[in-house]
Amino acid sequence: MEKNTRRKFMKTLGASIGVASVAGSSSLLNSCAKIESNNGDKIKLLTSSGELVEVDKSQLKPAEMPSLTEFQKRGREGLPGKSWVMVIDLAKCRNARQCMKACQNHHQLRPEQHHINVLQMQDAEHTAPYYMPKPCQHCDNPPCTKVCPVNATFKRDDGIVLIDNERCIGCRFCIAACPYSARVFNWFEPRDAEKYKGVTYNIEANVPQKKGTISKCLFSADRLRDGKLPSCVSACPNGVYWFGDRNEDAVTNGTTKETVNLTALLKQNAAYTLMEELGTKPRVYYLPPKDRAFPFQEEIKNDH
Amino acid sequence: MEKIESAAESRKLLNKITNDLTRSIVKKDELTRFWFFILIMFVIVGLWGWIVQIKTGLGVTGMRDYVSWGMYIANFVFFVAVSLIGFLISSALHLLKIPWAKPISRVAEQVAIAFVALAGIIIVMDMGRPDRFMNIFLHGRFASPIIWDVTVITTYLAISVLLFYIPLIPDLAILRDKMSDKLPKWQLTMYKILSLGWKGSAEQYKTIYHAMRVLMILIIPVGLSIHTVTSWLFAATLRSGWDTAILGPYFVAGAFVAGTAAVIMVMYVYRLRYGLKDYFEDFHFDYMGKLLVFVCLVYLYFNVNEYLVPGYKMKEADGIHLNELFQGNYSGVFWIVQVAGLILPIFLLLFSYFRKPLPISIISFVVLIMAWLKRYIIVIPTLEHPFLPVQNVPGIFQHYSPTSIEVMITIFSFVAALIIISVLAKLFPVITIWEYASEKGIDKKYLTENDKN
Amino acid sequence: MNNKISYIIIAILFLSVQSFAQEWLVPGDQRNIKNPLEYNLDNVQKGKDLYLKNCKSCHGDPGKNNALPLVPPPVDITSEKMQKNTVGELFYKITNGRGGMPQFKTNISEDDRWRIVNYIMNFNPNREPVLVAAPKVKAKIMASVNEKERKVEVFAEHEVKGKYSSLGNEQITISAKKYFGNIKIGEVTTDNNGRAEFNIPESLIGDEEGNVNMVVSLGEDYIAEAVLLEEAKVGQNKKVQKLIKPGILWSTNENIQIWLLLSYIGAVGAAWAAIAYVVFQLIKVKRLGKTEH
Repeated sequence: MEKNTRRKFMKTLGASIGVASVAGSSSLLNSCAKIESNNGDKIKLLTSSGELVEVDKSQLKPAEMPSLTEFQKRGREGLPGKSWVMVIDLAKCRNARQCMKACQNHHQLRPEQHHINVLQMQDAEHTAPYYMPKPCQHCDNPPCTKVCPVNATFKRDDGIVLIDNERCIGCRFCIAACPYSARVFNWFEPRDAEKYKGVTYNIEANVPQKKGTISKCLFSADRLRDGKLPSCVSACPNGVYWFGDRNEDAVTNGTTKETVNLTALLKQNAAYTLMEELGTKPRVYYLPPKDRAFPFQEEIKNDH
Repeated sequence: MEKIESAAESRKLLNKITNDLTRSIVKKDELTRFWFFILIMFVIVGLWGWIVQIKTGLGVTGMRDYVSWGMYIANFVFFVAVSLIGFLISSALHLLKIPWAKPISRVAEQVAIAFVALAGIIIVMDMGRPDRFMNIFLHGRFASPIIWDVTVITTYLAISVLLFYIPLIPDLAILRDKMSDKLPKWQLTMYKILSLGWKGSAEQYKTIYHAMRVLMILIIPVGLSIHTVTSWLFAATLRSGWDTAILGPYFVAGAFVAGTAAVIMVMYVYRLRYGLKDYFEDFHFDYMGKLLVFVCLVYLYFNVNEYLVPGYKMKEADGIHLNELFQGNYSGVFWIVQVAGLILPIFLLLFSYFRKPLPISIISFVVLIMAWLKRYIIVIPTLEHPFLPVQNVPGIFQHYSPTSIEVMITIFSFVAALIIISVLAKLFPVITIWEYASEKGIDKKYLTENDKN
Repeated sequence: MNNKISYIIIAILFLSVQSFAQEWLVPGDQRNIKNPLEYNLDNVQKGKDLYLKNCKSCHGDPGKNNALPLVPPPVDITSEKMQKNTVGELFYKITNGRGGMPQFKTNISEDDRWRIVNYIMNFNPNREPVLVAAPKVKAKIMASVNEKERKVEVFAEHEVKGKYSSLGNEQITISAKKYFGNIKIGEVTTDNNGRAEFNIPESLIGDEEGNVNMVVSLGEDYIAEAVLLEEAKVGQNKKVQKLIKPGILWSTNENIQIWLLLSYIGAVGAAWAAIAYVVFQLIKVKRLGKTEH
């Protein structure tokens, strides 16, 4: 009985928690997903970044959570007037993998599932190896949404390619179509499926994940709606990621929080997009790995 | 063929033909029961495997995020390929007025129905969420090749069933009229309903000839599109090995090879099992052998184009893919398929000895296995080598090998196709009686007269 | 699978403990290199600028212990742990980096790296600091934006002996508010009366109507809140490209290309019409069977 009410409470529990005093970083507590235990006045919450924090019960107030259809409707519309782009500075990446970790926590992924994957690259036999974080490229000519038979994956006007896992039939045509290997499939029950049972599906974070459906990087569309940078961008300790609105011509660094002019950044650093010859028109720009801040350490292996 | 004038002679010959061709329906023995028993056992095991797969998730297969299409899709392509023979034999050869193909057309239609139905079923078994199958109709996106494929497979199945059924109507009337003492009542009732009150009047013949002609013309574009659209599931992507403009005709040519081989095998089994030596004659096998050589040659031509042109240039990703086929992990399968599935049959079938029923059936069996392996190496090696490196994932993600569940479901799909063919052979004559009788010069009026006068 | 995760966690823990425990050893010949640059105000000031640009994002403000929470944690440059390094050691570590610490040999010149060492040395207890931060002064900014003349007008005051008076000859930073932060668009120096005017560049992009929130702020030496100005129409209209429009293949059915829809419906319709026609023929066969009785 008690368990039941708790679950109900948890379902309606939103993000309105005054917590600056509880945890060092206030972003820690947004969209808490589940109450772990309930002893007296303190309760444990699981944050969207996967950390367990203890909060005073009086600090919690239930917020209105949009319904599934509301989530789906606004998830398909996107944020008006925006055109999201990411810039990845390959000179700064040292394979710290904080982005991968933050992403897996945010999107409830199993350890082998990557929305963003830091790859060890070497373009030709004698060129220098480097680390390359690879999220979904959010192409403006997306090969994946083109082939979807049920419109479960779709592109929004703000440029993000999203997935509706309430509709996906699991045919995996999009995986075959994506040249960037950006998509993953839930081959088994997703991570913590039991824990998130009954939680309203949030299309903009694609959580809870569902068995037999596709998942992939969404530029943390739910965080963008709240004015926050994507999980991976915020988590990077090395200033690799810039993220922003192309229409505004400004991008913000996730580590230093510095905001700069996008055009100038791309121009000065000779930015390029991945496999542009395929005509997919990616929204992720790469700055070449020149003057790398960290030496490449591992032995590069050829596993194409 | 000249007409047989004498009524007695006509009736005698017709009796013989009817007896021969309905033997498969009337005959009841242990072997048939045993055959069905074995098949049903396999079906049960396969369905159990599917239940396990639904419960645990597609993770019970060897597929993972990189090789996300595996043996099921290879099966699917294979089934669609084999089913295409219905179009070639019962339509193309008919319209070209090639007489020897007539007795074979019902066999071809059986094969077509069975395999196109299973193509539809196996694709559902490959889905991560088969419970959402209806989404295809509720939310279908017209721009998706899968929607085109679903449409065209459904259409092809409908046409194949009609093309099987319409020439059957006069035969059903014969069964209804002449078999009343040999068959159980439910079966006779079924024949009665399905024969649509056939009287054998000239008007009725005219109508079904007309309907068949419409279907035979209709099945040409539909048949070509079913396999072309299936090839687009691959050609519509950017992956090396799939990203070629030639894939449509390449698949169609390959389909004729697989289908011809399948029909030859089924013919041989019927000939042996139902004693139809005088119907599936040696010359039928001889012609089918020549047909097989012809389609193999066409397929060889497409193979040369498919591999030589990119192999000449060896573009980065294409090069990795082709190296894998020519001398890498899949080189064994690749070369066996090319030699045993293409070059050897062309060479052997040039000799008339190998076009005799038994040798050609053995060759066809080999060709069919090679055709399946060919689909396997069309689907899997491409996915094992995406453009970007496969990293930070367990080793199982890098190389695909099918699991026992996949093997079970694959066997299920083949067995289910065999069941459909067996049931069709058990219920309906495997050769069109009335067509065959008129070929032999028996006037149509004898077909519908009562046996017992 | 859980096992695997715990292995990974253990491995990470192990590695990080190791890097905690392992002393960062600098080769002997490098340790005692002398600083080729003079320890003077100019070099320390330049070192500070370089520090703010390249190091602060991780190491934080000197003495504030506000480094990024990384593993291992970046060390505050005023701390004992930092200051017990010789100049040679500091130079070596900046040059080559280790683990989470980048190498700077490729993107900061040798002289500049020595300047950063000089700046760190400014906090060494055994040395006389050459750069002493003046105590921060309370200050106020008043600003408004002139839409017509596309100008930001600023008036700055600072506290002198308990009273506010105009702040002359001081740099004011002008920024514009963007979705994730403020982008700096220029600087302006106040005149003797504490007033300044900033001409907003034509290239500034606002929202769809050209509205921008300007932000005016003072340098680090002052305790002053940045002023967020009200929206003003001083920027270019933000151009919003419509991505999803009719005739796009990757979009939904609503935007499907007409030729594709017509071909599909045409082909499917024709095929099924023919099938329906054949079925109709079958009905005709049945009817013929009945009438001839």
